[in-house]
Amino acid sequence: MTTTSMDRRSLLEGALLLLGVTATAGFTPEAFAKAASARPSLGAPEFALLSAVADTIIPKTETPGAVDAKVPAKFDALLVNWAAPKRRTELVGALTAIDRVARDKEGQPFAALSPEKRKELLIAHDAASLKPVPRAEKLTGMRAMMAGPSVADPAYAKLKELIVVLYYYSEEALTTELTYEHSPGDWTPSVKVTPETRATGGLGMF
Amino acid sequence: MFDAIVVGSGMSGGMSAKELCERGLKVLVIERGRKLVHGESYTDNLQPWEVPNAGMVPEEDLARHYKIQGESFITAATQQYWVKDDENPYITPEGKPFDWIRGYHLGGRSIMWGRQSYRLSAQDFEANAKDGHGSDWPIRYDDLAPWYSHVEKFIGVAGSKEGLPQLPDGDFLPAFALNDGELQFKAAIEKAFPGRKVIPGRTANLSQAQPHHEELGRMTCQARSLCDRGCTYGAYHSSLSSTLPAADRTGNLTIVTDAIVHSLVHDPKTGKVSGVRVIDSNTKARKTYEAKIVFLNASTIGTAQILLNSKSEAMPRGLANSSDMVGRNLMDHLFALSVAGLLPNGPKDSFYHGRRPTGLYIPRFRNVTEPGEGFLRGFGYQGGVSRMSWRAGIGQPGIGAELKARTRKLGPWFTYISGFGEMLPNPENRVTLSTTQVDKWGIPLVEVNCVHGPNEQKMAKQILDDGKAMIQAAGGFVVSTATEPGTPGLGIHEMGTACMGKDPKTSVLNKFNQAHDVKNLFITDGAAMASSGCQNPSLTYMALSARAAHHAVEFLREGTI
Repeated sequence: MTTTSMDRRSLLEGALLLLGVTATAGFTPEAFAKAASARPSLGAPEFALLSAVADTIIPKTETPGAVDAKVPAKFDALLVNWAAPKRRTELVGALTAIDRVARDKEGQPFAALSPEKRKELLIAHDAASLKPVPRAEKLTGMRAMMAGPSVADPAYAKLKELIVVLYYYSEEALTTELTYEHSPGDWTPSVKVTPETRATGGLGMF
Repeated sequence: MFDAIVVGSGMSGGMSAKELCERGLKVLVIERGRKLVHGESYTDNLQPWEVPNAGMVPEEDLARHYKIQGESFITAATQQYWVKDDENPYITPEGKPFDWIRGYHLGGRSIMWGRQSYRLSAQDFEANAKDGHGSDWPIRYDDLAPWYSHVEKFIGVAGSKEGLPQLPDGDFLPAFALNDGELQFKAAIEKAFPGRKVIPGRTANLSQAQPHHEELGRMTCQARSLCDRGCTYGAYHSSLSSTLPAADRTGNLTIVTDAIVHSLVHDPKTGKVSGVRVIDSNTKARKTYEAKIVFLNASTIGTAQILLNSKSEAMPRGLANSSDMVGRNLMDHLFALSVAGLLPNGPKDSFYHGRRPTGLYIPRFRNVTEPGEGFLRGFGYQGGVSRMSWRAGIGQPGIGAELKARTRKLGPWFTYISGFGEMLPNPENRVTLSTTQVDKWGIPLVEVNCVHGPNEQKMAKQILDDGKAMIQAAGGFVVSTATEPGTPGLGIHEMGTACMGKDPKTSVLNKFNQAHDVKNLFITDGAAMASSGCQNPSLTYMALSARAAHHAVEFLREGTI
């Protein structure tokens, strides 16, 4: 893994490369390699792996997916701008663990697999990693309240959470998957639900 | 020389300055923090995808600069408002943490506040006299009621009239109505527990701006719920949007920022304060400003620090401290006693539009309509009932198109209620000054010694038990609950360190918020509170400030101070 320091603009510009790639049911290994050539903070293989994982968790469907929303580049920026070294190591470790599963079971890097095979592997890995386990440390007060479930692989849980959050905070997701109005204008306490009603997005907790 | 100096530009300082300026006094406001400009300094225009780091403060910044503030509501979009703990240290004894949450800038914590605005009741002003804890308030509800009205009209408080003696009604703008899930919750609670009420949270947001708000450039709330970033519409009350502009338009206001108050100058010949010593936070240059009267609004702990650091031969224990009550009786509200639950029978075909800047409120019922089981005083709940957000499923297994489909759907109805409980005034919960350590400006560090006592512990258990019972009575099941109160201080409702009282031997301030020992010194921030009630206190600070300013100007004109 390289730790080239890059500014945010460069990271985002790198990710834009991905936008030129069309895909219907997941991106191709070539696309991931091309994106990785933009040289964000992760090394090329790791960035390709990240892109493949993000694309498998949030694929392009009738709406944009994580790669369309530049989640890999944004995640890479989090590694540079937000994560402490320990967190970064854990997150990269969680990515590497997914790749290890692919190599063990399929003899290939995760990013080199077909979208269908990636999904098959990650569904199993996701279920095993998010299996509830007894919490090792005792939490009190608000921490007890706000902590999510204790799971078998907390590093994977954080990796997935960040990918999902980055996607649903994106303009792409907030204009297609969820609804978001920056300035709703007024409060209407009762609105009838219709088949078109979608959940609302934004930065709130609840 | 100024007519008046107001130390601090936050919630109470802003109101003091406005009221004094409007009565014709030339007023200097001294603010220790940097200048913020209404609108220009805010981050409320950032779209979700524009907020750095998905709204998260960098982990190393949190560890290095925000060890204490990081326990509160800091985000990447609001990081600028929170003090850096490493640059603004204080001391707590081993094993007795106190989380002092601060914002040092023009407007202080009025930029960051939760805006919940409730009057104290007759019962609250009588509580100390009744059970013997703390100093008997020298005023009663009726003394403050007109000043509550005065402040509510000016700042704009949205709320509903309920006719509850423990939570008096005010001069309200239209309430932000309860949604259908909350109406169902309300019906269930009020049926299962007669005497309990579920009402719209009363909040200092302009549900309908009035002409006098618009004159100050304030507008109706746009239901964005981005208040914590500062509101360019001026739709919530803050010093920057509301009181300081009102003070400024009189032509009587001068503001100095980046000026840390070291102490007040006491003249033993007159028995009065003659000025305020400040240190420039950037250059460390020292200067003294003079005035006929001084209002201390530096926040509860800051005000105690200034008084204790204003020692003189005539007042060796600190200014206005012949009672030895300065720094004592530190209170905060019991906080973070929260219970959350799912309401599977919530109204299925109902949603809402907009992000309301408040939620629901459950006024105090213990020791009002129901007994407190082994504890004095009481508590209220803030919370809400809403559709669970898209975030709910993040930790659940599932990926791909299925995850997207699941997230797109409206979530189930979910409720979250959080108790705010009254701490008893206890003279052993106190603020003192270090005799060995100073900050980078040479001012002795504050030492805070504050713990929850047996009454608080019993009340905390009741808050959680009652919260769970109410969620269950509403047909819900509890999915998450806190286990104990948050660290003292986290309620961000510090009060009591220069309490009002009738007796100069046991209190610091008289019924006009005037120091018993120093007749031209007035203190109207949280320090003045003789008890805390369980209601969010800022409205009371502002009412006390307006009332004290009125009397101070009268005394000045009469020549009695």
